[in-house]
Amino acid sequence: MRKGQILTLLGIALVAGGITTAVAVLPTWLPVQASREAGRIDFVIWFTIVISIVIFALVAAVMIYEIAKFRARPGDDSDGPPVHGHTGLEIGWTIIPLLIVTSVAIVSAIVLSRNGDAGVNPLRVDVTAVQYAWTFTYPDAHGLTSNVLRLPKGRSVMLTISSKDVIHSFWVPNFGQKQDAVPGLHPTLHITPDRLGTYPVVCVELCGLGHALMRSEAIVMTPAAFDKWLKSQQTAIASPNASVSGAAVFKNNGCGACHTLTAAAATGKVGPDLDKLAQWAAQAKQPLASFVKTSVTDPNAYIQPGYPKNVMPGTFGASLSQQQLDALVQYLISSKKG
Amino acid sequence: MTAATLHDAHPPAPAQHGTARRLLLGAGWIRAAWMFCLFALIGVGIVVGLRWAAGWTPFLDKQIAVLVGLLVCGPIGFLAGIGCFDYWTYYALGKPTRPEDHSGHGAKSWKDYFRVNTDHKVIGVQYLVTTMVFFVIGGMLAMLVRAELARPGIQFFDPQTFNGLFSVHASLMIFLFIIPAFAGLANFVVPLMLGAADMAFPRLNALSFWLLPIAGIMMVASFLVPGGAFACGWTGYVPLCSTHQPLGAVFFNQAVQWAGASSIMTALNFLVTIITMRAPGMTFWRMPLLVWANFTTSLLVVIATPFIAGSQFFSMFDHVMHTAFFNTVQGGYPLGYQHIFWFYSHPAVYIMMLPGFGIMSEVISTFSRKPIFGYRLMALSLMAIVVLGFSVWAHHMFVSGMASWLRVPMMITTLLIAVPTGIKIFSWLATMWDGKLHFNTPMLFALGFLSMFVIGGLSGVMLGAVPVDIHMNQTYFVVAHIHYVLFGGSVFTIFAGIYYWYPKMTGRMYDEKLGKLHFWLTFVGFNLTFFPMHILGTEGMPRRVVDYAPKFADLNMFISLASFALGASTIVFLYNAITSWRSGERAPGNPWHAMTLEWQVSSPPPTFNFDEIPQVVGSPYGYGIPGAQHAILTPSHAPEEVTVT
Repeated sequence: MRKGQILTLLGIALVAGGITTAVAVLPTWLPVQASREAGRIDFVIWFTIVISIVIFALVAAVMIYEIAKFRARPGDDSDGPPVHGHTGLEIGWTIIPLLIVTSVAIVSAIVLSRNGDAGVNPLRVDVTAVQYAWTFTYPDAHGLTSNVLRLPKGRSVMLTISSKDVIHSFWVPNFGQKQDAVPGLHPTLHITPDRLGTYPVVCVELCGLGHALMRSEAIVMTPAAFDKWLKSQQTAIASPNASVSGAAVFKNNGCGACHTLTAAAATGKVGPDLDKLAQWAAQAKQPLASFVKTSVTDPNAYIQPGYPKNVMPGTFGASLSQQQLDALVQYLISSKKG
Repeated sequence: MTAATLHDAHPPAPAQHGTARRLLLGAGWIRAAWMFCLFALIGVGIVVGLRWAAGWTPFLDKQIAVLVGLLVCGPIGFLAGIGCFDYWTYYALGKPTRPEDHSGHGAKSWKDYFRVNTDHKVIGVQYLVTTMVFFVIGGMLAMLVRAELARPGIQFFDPQTFNGLFSVHASLMIFLFIIPAFAGLANFVVPLMLGAADMAFPRLNALSFWLLPIAGIMMVASFLVPGGAFACGWTGYVPLCSTHQPLGAVFFNQAVQWAGASSIMTALNFLVTIITMRAPGMTFWRMPLLVWANFTTSLLVVIATPFIAGSQFFSMFDHVMHTAFFNTVQGGYPLGYQHIFWFYSHPAVYIMMLPGFGIMSEVISTFSRKPIFGYRLMALSLMAIVVLGFSVWAHHMFVSGMASWLRVPMMITTLLIAVPTGIKIFSWLATMWDGKLHFNTPMLFALGFLSMFVIGGLSGVMLGAVPVDIHMNQTYFVVAHIHYVLFGGSVFTIFAGIYYWYPKMTGRMYDEKLGKLHFWLTFVGFNLTFFPMHILGTEGMPRRVVDYAPKFADLNMFISLASFALGASTIVFLYNAITSWRSGERAPGNPWHAMTLEWQVSSPPPTFNFDEIPQVVGSPYGYGIPGAQHAILTPSHAPEEVTVT
């Protein structure tokens, strides 16, 4: 290879690298970081992106140069020189990639171990997934349950992730960390929120018909606001109000992911419209209250025409207390429209 | 005796009876139809009989009856009816057989492609045409997916149908297009490259092909089953796929068994053919790299495919027989499924890559007019990928909740596999250096592959790093990655291979202008469709969703429009392939001036490939060496003059 060729190659590589860098920098690729772990993950992402840009630019430069320079002239049927290999080059392009991937492995292993370290006395939260809703329980606050994840800024949080039916996966893009919720397993996930705000919680493992709608919110609050919220919730638990808790049961069990109910601002389309419960009960020739109750506890007992069987989980009969169930039924009957 | 008289002498027994009886009882589509129905009824009868004898109600359990009747017994009846088992049945019953019977060999009219044929060249074409049909169906399903995703909210499909669309799309593309399309190309080319008259087991080869349409129709037919198609993704994770799915899930379980059986039989056939039927003088180090690629691929298939068979059986048993292999409540272990599944399905990624690597080596060497750079290291890196490929499966499970210590070792092996892959890419680039590059369509697809596969490989290295994977897992970044690897990688090499060997297979040249138009439309459409998905994924859009947050709307609309252009590019290919086959320019024996053996015979090759066994004397890539030859053989005759004694 002549000196001129090397310079030309480097020139093309610089241009290609510049274009690729622009693609990497100009659009917004990563969501706003809201946890320390996301910061470390983003570092590994950018570390590998830089390596990728360099390798891609070099390969692109060689290809572009070859396509431009070594094109056979029309009618040229001759062969190229019979070069069969070059031991030095072959050793080089075995060793150098080996070193590069070793560096990626080392950086990744360090970040992985630091991201898994929750330190002493983290805030514990149990994350329970069910088709198609998230429930967040605070075992240190008398089992306070919420359908949005509220976290204090700056405190290390240890989430224990579990599922009641199929495999789900808990992810807040802004936190970076992700963990599958597997029935029977209780893996943990460590997060240290470091930015105030509201972020999406999404399910990222296909879990059935309502998968796309299995979303919630993670709210990072100041520690003071968080403590205040904990206290106010505990008071609410102590004095339950039937109509309030019916709405809460509806929300906490994710009914709105699949059903429409104007009173709860739910717009799900997977299951029948609950605004029209009276109409459905008439169709099924059953009294309204017992129809609603049976439909919650034993969904396959009566299937609304046009909807498939076995979609609605049959677990609510066991998971809801008698009080909760009655509250839910009362709430649904009183909030129906027609 | 000539081949023609052999053909006439074939069915001595049915010839004595009437035409109607021959139609009904002779191997063919009519017998296949009634034997399918008969066997399906027998299957249902077995189910009802056993349940009645055991006193289980209802006697007719619809799920099990459909499974045993339609999905297991019926297809066996179809295979028997079309004639896959005739020779073996005669042999087993002690009836006279003729081991040298060549009546089912070769094709004289289009009808010969629609019966059991033992000619590896006919089987190769049967494979390719069948897989193209499923490629088009799978592509249309993808168009429907993109139509739904063009805007947020739910527009055209309910979630069950939508989940079915992308599940069947992926299953068809993997099990009915990429894997068998490579098997089809290799079926046609490998025996020719080895200097052999056919594959080692021609009847087994025919059976492998006929298993395929069964698997494909089963997957597509799952849309017609009450409750809809299987809607748990092509990965079929349990317990969603084993206990929460309609009957369509069983269609997926069972279709995978048929396609997998086809794969295993073909791979065994390739291994025996490559080991025992090489022409004199063809040492392993004189084999073309395409043969090396199919040798290593076949090793992967034979070792790994039984694992997916196991995973699908257990998942299906959980579904229809109420076993609890993966059901937590009764002591099962859901992650067990994932380990067994990925123990096949990660090697399967290399099953879908290595044959393409082989095609690359042939095309790049021929159109650069240069020997492959570092031939031995190229072959050894294929072997390295086979060995390493079995030690990386759990990188699909970094966030699955498996033992967390397993993550770092699996990351290291995953990253290491980039090294042999890199060697191949650098060696192809070095092969082109100083060459005389001819940019025919196969070469364009080869270069398209090279550039796109680098992107797919680099995003693969990113995903191999555990912290990156924790962020990207199950997002559109992964969708982008697998399409850069399987479309930018595998599909581009399949097109390169089809254009490269099109003259050899059909005896006609394809239209070069249309070929180049096809390449550019595909290349541009592909990048516009799949590159933006990287951004969607890092920003936080999960995959396999019917609906998404409004902030992703603009990019999704862009992707959908680009995907329709990409889909339309296939029309150019189909038009070119069909019209050129009918009326293209006649192809010479060696239009590309290549050195491997398949180009040293006529296009299409004679029925038995070589009149004289070639004597291999040198490298298959001796370009630029004055007087270099790969093999010495006398020019072959036209197919009609072939004699068999």
